[in-house]
Amino acid sequence: MIIEYHRPETIEAALVLLARKEPRTLPLGGGSVLNQPSDIPVAVVDVQSLGLNQIAARGNKLEIGAAATLQALLDTPETPLALKDAIRHEAAYNLRNMATAAGTLVAADGRSPFATVMLALGAELVFAIERTLALGEFLPLRANASASELITKISIPLNIKLSYQYVARTPADLPIVCAAAAQWSSGRTRLVLGGFGNSPLLALDGPNALGAPIAARDAYSEAGDQWASAAYRSDVAETLAKRAIQAFGASDKKEQN
Amino acid sequence: MKINLHINGIDHPLEILPGDSLLKALRGLGLHSVKFGDEQGLTGSDTVLLDGRPINAGVYLAAQAEGHKIATLEALGEHPDQGWKKTDGLHPLQHSFIETGAIQCGYCTPAQILAAKDLVERKPNPTEAEVREALSGVLCRCTGYKKPVQAVMRAAAILRGEDVEPIDTPAPIPAPQEWLPAHEDGAAPAPFGGDPGIPQVDTRTRVMPQITIAPQEAELRIVGKPEPKVDAVKLAQGKPAFAADVEMRGMLYARVLTSPHAHARIKAIDASAARQLPGVAAVLTHTDIPRVVYSTAGQSHPIPGPLDCFSLDTKVRFVGDRVAFVAAETPEIADHALSLIQVDYEVLEPLLDTRQSMQPGAPILHDEPDYVNFADSDPSKNLAAEIRIDIGDLEKGFAEADRIFEAEYEVSKVQQAHIEPHVVVTYWDEDDRLVVRTSTQVPFHVRRMLAPVLGLPIKRIRVIKPRVGGGFGGKQEMLGEDIAGHLTIATGRPVLYEYTREEEFIASRSRHPMRITMKTGVKNDGTITANAMYALSDTGANGAHALTVTGNTGHKAMALYVGDGEYRKTPNIQFNADIVYTNHPPSGAYRGYGVPQGFWAVERHMDKIIDAMGFDPIEFRLKNALRAGELHPFSTAWSEGREPRPETIETNGLEECVRQGKAAVGWDQKYGNPEWQAIPGKPHLRRGIGVAMMMQGTAIPYLDMGGASIKMNDDGSFNLLIGATDLGTGSDTVLGQMAAEVLGCSLDDMIVYSSDTDFTPFDVGAYASSTTYISGAAVVNAAKKVAERIRIRAAGMFSQRQDVSSSGRQEALTFNAGDIQLSNRQAIAPDGRTLTLSEIALHTLHAEDQEQIMAVGSYYSPVAPPPFAAQFAEVTVDMETGQIVVDKLVMAVDSGVIVNPITASGQIEGGMVQALGYAVCEEMVYDASGQPRERDFRDYHIFMAHEMPELETIFVETYEPSHPFGIKAVAEIPLDGVAPAVGNAVFNAAAVHIDANPITPEKIWRGLKEK
Repeated sequence: MIIEYHRPETIEAALVLLARKEPRTLPLGGGSVLNQPSDIPVAVVDVQSLGLNQIAARGNKLEIGAAATLQALLDTPETPLALKDAIRHEAAYNLRNMATAAGTLVAADGRSPFATVMLALGAELVFAIERTLALGEFLPLRANASASELITKISIPLNIKLSYQYVARTPADLPIVCAAAAQWSSGRTRLVLGGFGNSPLLALDGPNALGAPIAARDAYSEAGDQWASAAYRSDVAETLAKRAIQAFGASDKKEQN
Repeated sequence: MKINLHINGIDHPLEILPGDSLLKALRGLGLHSVKFGDEQGLTGSDTVLLDGRPINAGVYLAAQAEGHKIATLEALGEHPDQGWKKTDGLHPLQHSFIETGAIQCGYCTPAQILAAKDLVERKPNPTEAEVREALSGVLCRCTGYKKPVQAVMRAAAILRGEDVEPIDTPAPIPAPQEWLPAHEDGAAPAPFGGDPGIPQVDTRTRVMPQITIAPQEAELRIVGKPEPKVDAVKLAQGKPAFAADVEMRGMLYARVLTSPHAHARIKAIDASAARQLPGVAAVLTHTDIPRVVYSTAGQSHPIPGPLDCFSLDTKVRFVGDRVAFVAAETPEIADHALSLIQVDYEVLEPLLDTRQSMQPGAPILHDEPDYVNFADSDPSKNLAAEIRIDIGDLEKGFAEADRIFEAEYEVSKVQQAHIEPHVVVTYWDEDDRLVVRTSTQVPFHVRRMLAPVLGLPIKRIRVIKPRVGGGFGGKQEMLGEDIAGHLTIATGRPVLYEYTREEEFIASRSRHPMRITMKTGVKNDGTITANAMYALSDTGANGAHALTVTGNTGHKAMALYVGDGEYRKTPNIQFNADIVYTNHPPSGAYRGYGVPQGFWAVERHMDKIIDAMGFDPIEFRLKNALRAGELHPFSTAWSEGREPRPETIETNGLEECVRQGKAAVGWDQKYGNPEWQAIPGKPHLRRGIGVAMMMQGTAIPYLDMGGASIKMNDDGSFNLLIGATDLGTGSDTVLGQMAAEVLGCSLDDMIVYSSDTDFTPFDVGAYASSTTYISGAAVVNAAKKVAERIRIRAAGMFSQRQDVSSSGRQEALTFNAGDIQLSNRQAIAPDGRTLTLSEIALHTLHAEDQEQIMAVGSYYSPVAPPPFAAQFAEVTVDMETGQIVVDKLVMAVDSGVIVNPITASGQIEGGMVQALGYAVCEEMVYDASGQPRERDFRDYHIFMAHEMPELETIFVETYEPSHPFGIKAVAEIPLDGVAPAVGNAVFNAAAVHIDANPITPEKIWRGLKEK
């Protein structure tokens, strides 16, 4: 239940509001999650006037304003193709016009394709109070994170190979299992699994892709719930991990062409 | 807080609460095109344009929207005829949505048009994929998205200044593959489908192909034509046509406290704190209202099922069951009040497995003394209904078989998922009669059923059915009307009760889940000698529709395959069923009404037999299928709890459906062709193709009745008043077409109104595929009476004119009424002279022997002629993960004469897509304590515009002699065959039999692992 609405025009003013202990005050991005019915009274600080919606490629990084919408990110030419696939899978067009990049990550559960790929990319969150945190560190802390830590920017690497694979009941349904793999030119490979639990899961962060399928199988060996058994998720995670790594080769061929 | 919203070019200063949604603010301003669909923004029926881009107003704060340009559909287009005021008319998008039949219930239409407007302004020449992506944020449960996509493509072309094909140009009938030269000379068949990654959906705007295999009685002018829907113009503008689109002074908002337990007794309720909350007008618990036992099933009197419901009871029987009602000044206050009600529950052991329901020691759900039995119901055994049907000699049939096949199947609990939730407004009128404005399929049943529950005589209740935003059976039920009615009685004030989306999932109705056992005897020549089905059906906490839904499971699905040769005369069929209570939410009516469950089992079972005995899937089915001239095998055995009477099948286009469907899908080139099944470069993928055959019914014989009245106006137009309820199906339109056909006028001249229990004749309502057939015949009866009066008056007027102009020759020029033809808005004499209908009306109403030309017609049928159909499905299966993608659905259907090919094909397309959900993704799952997994559209996935398979519909027209225009039903049969056809296609691709729907990736994966 939203009991106060604020739309500050400076980050400083926003931080003052967010620092209040009473009432509980949260940053409001697009609102597609926060505006859903709730019994918990909260005040919201709308970030739309803070200039946080810019998206810019700087060197080998794409810097995504926290308030940039998923659709804006989808429309950005520099956005990696596999991330675009995940954005399309994350939400339909209307919600993509509302949902912000940071808000989606803050609200994401394990079934979020966007969070899965962003975690594989090793996305870094930049906070207003001079702090940078890797998404992998942020996700487990979300429930206890201080509301005053306003995310201003998300940074992802551009000089990487990236692949996103998933299994779902239908093409647009939430994933039962999804896998995102990112590989740097050094060979460093990150494999992240989604489709289960409260958060995507980092299955591998290694110097190369060796062992990624086995790592995937192990990572989801107990990932059973009402939607799928652990045996199924574990087996499919291995298959999707293989395909994600193989897709790097395909992307190499595309680049050569 | 005060804000200023810039809406449709006008600034609106508003006083709002910080948490008010933009949806609430817009509807408060009377902008009713923006509609509630859910609380998560997943339906998209709350779409508005914010700075030109579609967003969901229900999850966007009004305060967030300040400083932005907001556009709603109200700003787009105007009715072209506004008297002396010239208008620019409708926008091309609105025109195209109307012309192409993209509007069914119309609830999501404003959202689709706005999303399309954004697209065509950004991309004047969009691809089909871009159109689908643009519409992806708007769920539509009626259309299957094909026609909305066509509408956007057509409008874009018009906006680019291009010529478009006229809408009523029939497409050529595709020639069957075997007629093509490539086949004759033995050359390789044409490539199939192309790149599997590219959508193959046909977006050309055209009338679906129709193949007539029986002559009609006469050439028809309006019946059979793709007339635009009579309600389409208002729906394309987002006019306030739906139940919630009213504002009444002093209106209260109702909320319901629901049970958190699957099974519990209410020991005590303390509502004092809720009652003291400022803004609360009433809190009702079971101690505050009379205890009246009833059934929620919207069926004819007497309801063929037990009476086992109470508006509020001392016991709760599922998570989501009613505990208390609140009415308050705002929905937020009502929600707050719910949280203040203290309930002391004695939690009881839940009963969640149908196999335990009748076991000794099982928890008893209905131990109340005022339970009223129907037929064989027995609450002491948790038995809501029992069916035992034996046709022929089953054991003799099995003894004559060479092989006997037994298997078990399972079907899931699924939701109607209409985008407009259940919604009702009640108020006292100036005569202290209770007016119930409700989104219902059964207004007359609601009036009759509601009266005793509220303690009012029927005559003091008026039920108004406005436009309905989809029903699919979910609104063949009295669900919210008693809640709002009780609260209006308690407060004296108007009350709006609208289900939340969560309530739709946890507290409304669903398709009955069943466990089905099949046993079939087959001779080596492919003759079925005996066929038996046992269904254990889960009616949930209440027995509404328990008997009749499950009865139809056997009555339709087990009637199709009678056997061949002598078995055709005396088939051996058994259908037994137990319909039992559990602590799941009640099941009920859902489009198809038990038949999809039956055909899942029958058609999956047929494929197993075919596989085991090496038969051809099509030849085996047709060899054993019911044929024209044969007795419907169940017609002498069962009729929805009433006396059965024998019925002969007059028309059956099944073989032609198969022939056309095979040609359209390329069956002969694909089935059994390993080259087609393989996908080059993707060895883990395999294609498969499957078929299912189906029959349904058309209305309930000797029971369903419809009425219609027609009144002639001064200008030669007519008011057509019908009790039938258009849920978006187009029934207002096709009934108007039939009347216009008889009266010789255009559909424009028919002012169609449905339904209002004070003004329109009785009709049982929209269910059992009855409206076009039953209500249509009633309309024809009324129209014939009106036409006869018009002819009589015209004959007199022609004679009088002869008197004046040719005195002395009167006798020779006097015409009989029967000699007068009505056509082109005229009465035409045998000598070619004409009178316009307007001239006749003015003469009749104002000049001489004045009378109101008006008539009432009604109809019930002694027969229920079945439509028949062949359903084909193509799938791709991932052999490593079990992922399934349905690539194509083709349905060829014999629904008799098609009154309107646009609305009818829309029914087929939308029905196939609902059935596709039943095939692959829709189910409602409960944990061990009865807590539901599905509470919103995030978890309950229904198909979206950008993930659709190719859809194709073919009508094979027979002429059903029992109807004045030769029609049979079209509405429900598309629900029957998709799931088994997809299941059979999966078997064709992966050699894995999936016996429980939906066919999920894990089920296929398990099957592959077990091979």
